Formats: sequence, C-alpha cells, structure tokens
Amino acid sequence: MAEITLIAEPGRTTGSSESRRMRSAGRVPAVVYGHGIEGISVSVEGRDLRHALSGEAGLNQLLSLKVGSDTHLAMARSLQRHPVRHTVLHVDFQIVSRDEVISAEVPIVLIGESKSVEQEKGIVEQLLTSLTVNATPGLIPSNIEVDINDLTVGESIRVGDLPLPAGVTTDVSPDDLVVMASITRAVVEEEVAEGEGVEGEGVAAEGAGAESAASDGASGSEEG
Amino acid sequence: MLMPRKVKHRKQQRGRLSGQAKGGTTVNFGEYGIQALEPGWITARQIEAARIAMTRHVKRGGKVWIRVFPDKPVTNKPAETRMGSGKGNPEFWVAVVKPGRILFELGGVNEALGRSALERAIQKLPIRARVVVRAHQEEVEVG
Repeated sequence: MAEITLIAEPGRTTGSSESRRMRSAGRVPAVVYGHGIEGISVSVEGRDLRHALSGEAGLNQLLSLKVGSDTHLAMARSLQRHPVRHTVLHVDFQIVSRDEVISAEVPIVLIGESKSVEQEKGIVEQLLTSLTVNATPGLIPSNIEVDINDLTVGESIRVGDLPLPAGVTTDVSPDDLVVMASITRAVVEEEVAEGEGVEGEGVAAEGAGAESAASDGASGSEEG
Repeated sequence: MLMPRKVKHRKQQRGRLSGQAKGGTTVNFGEYGIQALEPGWITARQIEAARIAMTRHVKRGGKVWIRVFPDKPVTNKPAETRMGSGKGNPEFWVAVVKPGRILFELGGVNEALGRSALERAIQKLPIRARVVVRAHQEEVEVG
C-alpha cells in the first residue's frame, strides 16, 4: 500500500472556539501520537484530508505525515464527526511502524446476488459490516469480499468462512455471523394465512381481513 | 405500542431539549435510516404509525429497526379542572429526540423502495427528519 503525503501544521491553539474558527477556515484539528511520542496538536487541510482518506484503502490509508520538520508513518485511527452533518470535526493520527502488527477495522463487502434467496422471497441480512483484523500496516486489506451468489435460505456465512489474505488474522470469534439468509416474518405469516384459507374454504373475507390487520400490529411490538 | 414495563417514578419533569444527539447518530443495523433534524418528543403512537406506514409500504421483505424508545411519561390534567391539587395523571409516553438521532432503520430492500418507505414514515413524525444511507456515512466530508 503506497502512502499519501499529508502536511500537518503543529502549534495550533487548542480550545473549542479556536477549533471552530479553524474548521470554518477549511482546516481540521487533529492530534498525532504513538510510538512514545507525546501527543502533538496539529491541524490539516480539509481538502487534503478528504482526498487522502477517500481512496481505495479508505480510512486505513497509510499516510506519510509531515509534522514540521519530521515525517511520520501514520494512520487515521479515529474520526470525530458532527452528529447531524457527519462532517469530520477532529482526527487522531497514530504513528505506526511498518513491521509492527496493528489492528484495523476493515469493511466487509457482499459480492453478487443470491437468486435462490430472491426466489424464496427471503432477505440477505448482513450482521457484521466490518471486521477488526490484525496485520502489519502494509498488509491491511482495503475490504473483505464475501460471495453470496450460492447462499440459500437458512444458510449463513460466519467469520471463520471469510477469506482473509495471508498475514492477516482476526481476534473475532470464528462462530460470529457475518451474513444470514432468512425468510421474513411477513412472508411466513402470508404463507400461514394462505394455508388457513385453503383449509377453511367457507371463511368469510371479512375475517381474513381482520386477521391480517391483527398480525400486522403484533409484528410491530416484536420488532426493534 | 411501545412503553416501559416498569418504572421507578411514575411522573417526570419535562426537561430541556438543547443540544444535539450524543449517540445513536449512525445507521448501524439496516441500510437506510431516518435521522432527526430537530429536537422533539415523539410519542409511542407516532412511532407505531411510522412503523406501520413503513412495513405496509415494503409489503414483504425488509426488516425494520426502531432505534428510539418512549420511556418518558407525559402527564395531563383532566379537562375543566381547577389548577392545583398536584400533577396530572400519566397519559402517554414519549421518546426524547435531539438532532442527529437515528429513529428508524430499514434493510433488505432496494434503495428506491427503502427511501419511499422511509419518506412515508417521516410524514408520521412531528419533527423534520431526513433519509440517510449507510453506504454514504463513511465518506470523509469536511465543512
């Protein structure tokens, strides 16, 4: 993974009002720490930061961070965001070493579409969207791809089934679910209602209507 | 309707609605969500109405998550009652919502259907809200 150079200006004034002024001027307050270095308050150009972290590697991009006269190999470890606008308010840069194993969150991406699940009116539910992996900075994958083309209803893919590249490990339990294909409750209820309809042919349409309304209400109290 | 099974105190003071949501600001379960843009109280009835609007629109398939819970009792005095004689009776339950809070999430449907279902649910809410997509929330925006 090639590094992207990012220039961080040290010596910024800390404090909420000063940080707010800095953000309105297009800069993002940040801190650099790690490898025995005492935390340095810095600021980076917003546009450069967006460019650096919007590549293929995403937030796990290796950065060549220039702080004054020093250059550090660093990664963005934590991004504080605005609760409504979701803009980046603050970044933590952690200094890393090329041969030191670190942990990072890698997104799990589903590839393909399960025809079988679609035919049976089921849904594919992704329970784990990112995986914490341990690897040296150069080996951290940009994402983990999971093929769901052959997934059928009732089947699941667990962490142990994920294709991790060489040199990448995870501490997450291999039994944890990543993707699950299941039939939704609405489809199950519909099938049950259809079955009852076939059995009791003489049942009035009004009764069936009331039943479906009642089942709708019940599903709500269970959800969430 | 959603309400607590048991509470420590039957009546609460109203409180203030200043500031923005401290947590629950990202879509964590489904693919799409409704984000509050204003502070407000959302009653259990409104939550239920929004949920029904959403589930009926997606018909089959899809899964709904409700990310807020109405745990605050609201009291009312009976009509034509003289002032005094203590606080009124608990009448309904509300969820206290601040801007940024994700109220509902939806998954297992395509984006067009998901968006239209969530737009219908927003119509049932007493505050301004918008649809957010999980795939876009990791983007690095600076402003």
